[in-house]
Amino acid sequence: MKIKDSIQTATRGLNHAKLRSLLTMLGIVIGIASVILLMSIGSSAQSLILDQVKGIGSNLIFVVPGATKGSRFSSPASTQGIIIKTLVEGDVDALRREAVAAKVTAEVRGQAKAVYENNDATVTYEGITAEFFPMRNFSTVKGFSFTNNDVASFNHVAVLGQAIAETLFGDIDPVGKLFRLRDVQFRVIGVLEKKGLGPFGIDQDALVLIPITVARKQLLGIDYYNAITVQASDAYNIEFAKSRISDVLRQSHRITNPDKDDFTIRTQEDALSLLGNITSILKIFLTAIASISLIVGGIGIMNIMFVSVVERTREIGLRKAVGATNSDILQQFLWEAVILTFIGGLVGIFIGSLFTVLTYFAVTRFAGIDWVFSLPISAVLLAVAVSTVIGVVFGIYPAYRASRLNPTEALRYE
Amino acid sequence: MISLKNLGKIYSDDDTDTTALQDISFEIKKGEFVSVMGPSGSGKSTLLHILSFLDRPTSGSYTFSGKSINDLSDIELARIRNKEMGFVFQAFNLLSRASVYENVEMPLIYSVDLPAGERAELVRKAIEAVGLKEKTFVEAGRLSGGQKQRVAIARALVNDPNVIFADEPTGNLDSKSGAQIMEILDDLHNAGRTIILVTHETYTAEFADRRIQLKDGLVEVDEATKHDGNRKEFFK
Ligand SMILES: Nc1ncnc2c1ncn2[C@@H]1O[C@H](COP(=O)(O)OP(=O)(O)O)[C@@H](O)[C@H]1O
Ligand SMILES: [Mg+2]
Repeated sequence: MKIKDSIQTATRGLNHAKLRSLLTMLGIVIGIASVILLMSIGSSAQSLILDQVKGIGSNLIFVVPGATKGSRFSSPASTQGIIIKTLVEGDVDALRREAVAAKVTAEVRGQAKAVYENNDATVTYEGITAEFFPMRNFSTVKGFSFTNNDVASFNHVAVLGQAIAETLFGDIDPVGKLFRLRDVQFRVIGVLEKKGLGPFGIDQDALVLIPITVARKQLLGIDYYNAITVQASDAYNIEFAKSRISDVLRQSHRITNPDKDDFTIRTQEDALSLLGNITSILKIFLTAIASISLIVGGIGIMNIMFVSVVERTREIGLRKAVGATNSDILQQFLWEAVILTFIGGLVGIFIGSLFTVLTYFAVTRFAGIDWVFSLPISAVLLAVAVSTVIGVVFGIYPAYRASRLNPTEALRYE
Repeated sequence: MISLKNLGKIYSDDDTDTTALQDISFEIKKGEFVSVMGPSGSGKSTLLHILSFLDRPTSGSYTFSGKSINDLSDIELARIRNKEMGFVFQAFNLLSRASVYENVEMPLIYSVDLPAGERAELVRKAIEAVGLKEKTFVEAGRLSGGQKQRVAIARALVNDPNVIFADEPTGNLDSKSGAQIMEILDDLHNAGRTIILVTHETYTAEFADRRIQLKDGLVEVDEATKHDGNRKEFFK
């Protein structure tokens, strides 16, 4: 029997039992649609998260105090609530002299109550140097950011995130106004553009940025830093810059054995690859969940095909009587299963894509998130392949059973 | 063309053995019209299934056109059924949701050496031969019993077979439709085809030249048909 005839026979068979065909297909449609939807949500979420990390700046290298045990993805001790005082002013000066470092900023962090007239709020403030603004792509929509002159002269100036500006000042223009942070007076000189949620869920609009000198000496009373950020020069390879920075810090900390490092260096790429790994696992997880519905759909197909084989016992006997071989019958039923799952796959892709588009609009319109529309071609191809394979896998056994029917008994079947 | 020697068939189920045919020997020449008669359970259908290569004997030998069934593979049997045999059943066995055309075409799609371009013409001729031209694209399930059996005959004819096997083709029909079917079979016989008809009605058996009577899986009578007028009566 020619393949064309096999396919035509199968198509006619499906056509002659439209309702049964549609019901059989339903399971696959739902399965494929959910695979498409969840894969696309997974990869949109991945782009969203990775874009946020890329968005904090370029070529950034983060130095935090304390060593990290384990792999390069483990979290440094300093992020676990332990106070480590190893990063000091001398480190920043030494790094500023390095050619690999285009810009260097240090940071200290604290929490305090901010008060303006009758409004108050508990805020996270960051003491930084002026380089912080260009390094992190922070620009002001009102007023200005402060300069290293302000830093050096201990000026009590502050740049506010949008959200905290609104909490404290409401409709009033905050630029030029005085507010208190832990009973120290600051003058607002600028308001940042809206940044939204930063990486790791930090609300960048709630930040209060002040000169590092003031924060360190007058608010916190400490002489170490919570972090140093270096922007590597474009002229150097980022990994080279990273190792150069390690050398400089070891030298100024008088460390000879790298195993005894009292600091941890992470590049933006490290963060990206860590988050890339996490989000890939998320994607796989989502796909696995959706695949369960595909398997259920496949079992549904097998079920209905068994019923169909029994119902069509006489047809099978007849076909054998007029000259169909076992393999002709096997092919016919296998084609029926594959055609069903293939069409079910296409319909599922269509419906899944439709829901992907709807999700995109829902998330961008109503949740206001910069959702990245993503309908990976790999997901589509995978869906077509998987649905066809499901047709073969779950169709072959019923088809085999059909092909083995004894024609005389089949013709006798009532 | 057909030759049986000491043919036997025992159905072995899980624990019981049923002897359907014990020891059958006869020959059928090309162009003969043979009726197979006998009480229910005497082995008529079993014999027909073996003659038509749908089943294999458990003992004895059967040669068709010089080829012994014992030497042929299942695939070869299917080829021969397809090319040289036509089937008509009591229960019509049509695909009721398919059109008359699709039903009649069915044997041709399993004909490996027939060019697809010649199919339509063969199907058309076969449908015309049974007088159902205007029903060509009607769903088979919508036809009357007599029309259905004519579709089944067209399907049996479409491959231009040498032998037509008919198992009680008039059993489910009223006498008028039955008569039409018998006339068509008679015409096919007159055109030179071998016809083997299983029936329990003496008046349909009278269309045949020869009657093989079975009893308990054995040939009880094998003789030329006596035309005693029943056939004429049937046509009134
Ligand atoms: N597939 C089968 N399995 C077991 N026994 C069978 C089978 N087919 C027929 N028989 C038995 O073989 C005998 C002959 O049956 P059959 O050839 O159908 O007779 P007829 O067509 O003359 O009524 C009966 O006893 C029947 O029950
Ligand atoms: Mg019978």
